[in-house]
Amino acid sequence: MDNPENKLSDYIDALNAEKEPEKHQGTAGTPELEKLLATVRLVRTLKEPAMPSPGYPQRLAAALADKIQKNNTTGFRQPVEPNPKPGNRIYETAAGRSRRKRILPAVAALVAGLLLFAVLTSWTGLFNPDVVYAMEKAVAQLSNYHGVLEMRSKNAAGEEWMIRRVELWSDGDKYALRQNDGTMTVNNGEKKWQLRPQKKEVALLPLLPDPARNGFDLRDEAKRAKQYPHKVVGSEMIAGRQATKIEISPPGGLAYYLWIDAETNLPVQLQTAMQNALQTTLTFISFEPNTGINPKIFAYQPPEGFKVVEKDPGQLVATVEEAAAISRLTPLLPKEAPARILAFKDRIVLDYGDTTIVESAAGGAFQPAPNSALGTAAGGPLEVWQERLRWRQDGIEIQAEGTRRVELARQIAGDLTLPDTGKNMVNKARVEVPVDMEITKADQQQVDRGSSPWQLDPLQVSLTFVNLMVSPEGITGEPEIPAASFKLMTNNGAQAVVEVAAGPVKQVYLKRLVRQDETGIWSVVGYDPR
Amino acid sequence: MNAPDELKKAIEGDLKSIEQICIATWEPLYRFIYFKVQNREEAEDITQETYVKTLAYLQKHKMPWDNLPGFMKTVALNVLRDRWRQRKRRGIPVNFEEINPEETAGMDHQKAVSQRLQIENALAKLSEDQRIVLDLRINKGYSVAESAKLAGKTEAAVRTAQYRALQALAQILDDSD
Repeated sequence: MDNPENKLSDYIDALNAEKEPEKHQGTAGTPELEKLLATVRLVRTLKEPAMPSPGYPQRLAAALADKIQKNNTTGFRQPVEPNPKPGNRIYETAAGRSRRKRILPAVAALVAGLLLFAVLTSWTGLFNPDVVYAMEKAVAQLSNYHGVLEMRSKNAAGEEWMIRRVELWSDGDKYALRQNDGTMTVNNGEKKWQLRPQKKEVALLPLLPDPARNGFDLRDEAKRAKQYPHKVVGSEMIAGRQATKIEISPPGGLAYYLWIDAETNLPVQLQTAMQNALQTTLTFISFEPNTGINPKIFAYQPPEGFKVVEKDPGQLVATVEEAAAISRLTPLLPKEAPARILAFKDRIVLDYGDTTIVESAAGGAFQPAPNSALGTAAGGPLEVWQERLRWRQDGIEIQAEGTRRVELARQIAGDLTLPDTGKNMVNKARVEVPVDMEITKADQQQVDRGSSPWQLDPLQVSLTFVNLMVSPEGITGEPEIPAASFKLMTNNGAQAVVEVAAGPVKQVYLKRLVRQDETGIWSVVGYDPR
Repeated sequence: MNAPDELKKAIEGDLKSIEQICIATWEPLYRFIYFKVQNREEAEDITQETYVKTLAYLQKHKMPWDNLPGFMKTVALNVLRDRWRQRKRRGIPVNFEEINPEETAGMDHQKAVSQRLQIENALAKLSEDQRIVLDLRINKGYSVAESAKLAGKTEAAVRTAQYRALQALAQILDDSD
């Protein structure tokens, strides 16, 4: 144990087991060894962190509440123990009973065997640890690029055809794309326009928000590949470049493929799964990363003889007052000042670079998207849908989209609460409804293919469930319990409760059993009879 | 903007409000801590301790809600420093440079990427044998026995090779500073 080589090795083993080495292995002893331990930690930063088991924030909150309560009853004491004792840690069960999972030796051996198998079958070069991390890094470092993206489709009979080809220029916030017919769309960060040679016109377009810039966003692909289970399945030549083929498997969905250029580590081709007998492949048939792009590409210079078409493209303004005068709105502002303000006749857009806030006058009733999760903001409902938050406050509808949406939205609505994903809402059901997971998985794949989208809406699923109880032979014509009788009470993105105003059922309890995001279908898992 | 009601309720011990705050804030903080300690057990401990200390502070002092994430990172760094000091008393030398709060607090994504590049460049300067052993042991997380089998070495040779590889890597990183 005193041997420094052994100490170092034990330290690595403790980190690999996600344990605190000093607690289990003792101390380093010498400055030289300490330096080597620090180097181990540095090398390890190349890996993605091991995240706590699900429900961690809830367990953390419970431990904190307990601590605060104790402090409140005994008088507050500043915690002094820099190394909390094991009894103070958050374990997976409450009541202080440790249930930290121990892997049985036989299971451990099996896991080790499987790992060995995985490395032997996917050995694609040493210290090329994860091609997806390399891609993420390459995409983060990409300052600009010029390329030609081709989109092709193939049917189940193997016939293939080209749908379209676009030439792309991208440089920081600026981009330009030219389609087959010569139509060119440019966003130079100050203006967005479309040059239409056939009509001899230039259309000025709203600068923001600017959704997906093209169908194959490099950053999005890198993010998705990292988030879903993936594996290297081969190496192929794509458009004259050697590329690593990876298979990405979204939970409960069909696998699709991404090819990553072996030299640049950037995605070069994407192929969707065969859905509805159709498969789409997007390929960069040419791609020049970090290249010199002619600045004229992004310069707004309408060619002579072209008519300028303007349909409220909005304008950049210097102050909120100017924006208010143009839009006739009194915007609600986050504490942090936006980088840019755009004013339209009916809305104001606050641009924070990575996040955009759009404010417009609220009209009609607030209708959250059916497959969104619900939180609360400004005393009313908050729609949480993908990377977007939407709510109403003081007669204004506010939409925040982007990475800092929660932080900025909280600066407007201080009471904003997000859906509580850890809460179990459906265990209160008086009658449990058994679910066949095989059928549910097949339903999910059907919805992924674009069929039966109603299964993404908890209200529609409840409506079908209740009406089939009333008319077991099938629903013909108008359902007996109409849609107006169904009201979404809660939806945290994973579980939902729907209240029914009439009929034999009072409340329907639903769960997203296959995938807990906006693409996941809802299944009825219980109900309360009236 | 003043501290919102959520924070006030949390400080009073309202579980629901504490949960809301934890759900909204735990992940960036945990990742920040994990980046420093590189193991889940310690990262979970320090995350919990950071929340306890933050709420304790907020029971006596006012804090704007917007400053909370930055404040918590600073608290986490103090907890880390306390732990390092504790170890120093137990005989472990403290590398205070490594926990320089200004440097670490300002460590944004770009800095993390450049640190990653620096490590990767240093790894590229190692011999292939050294890279293999670090890849198997640290990156892929195999045991000494598994790594020995995969690399066709004895277990003792793996231990020696990883020791020498890390010595070489530390030297390269020192030289590049």
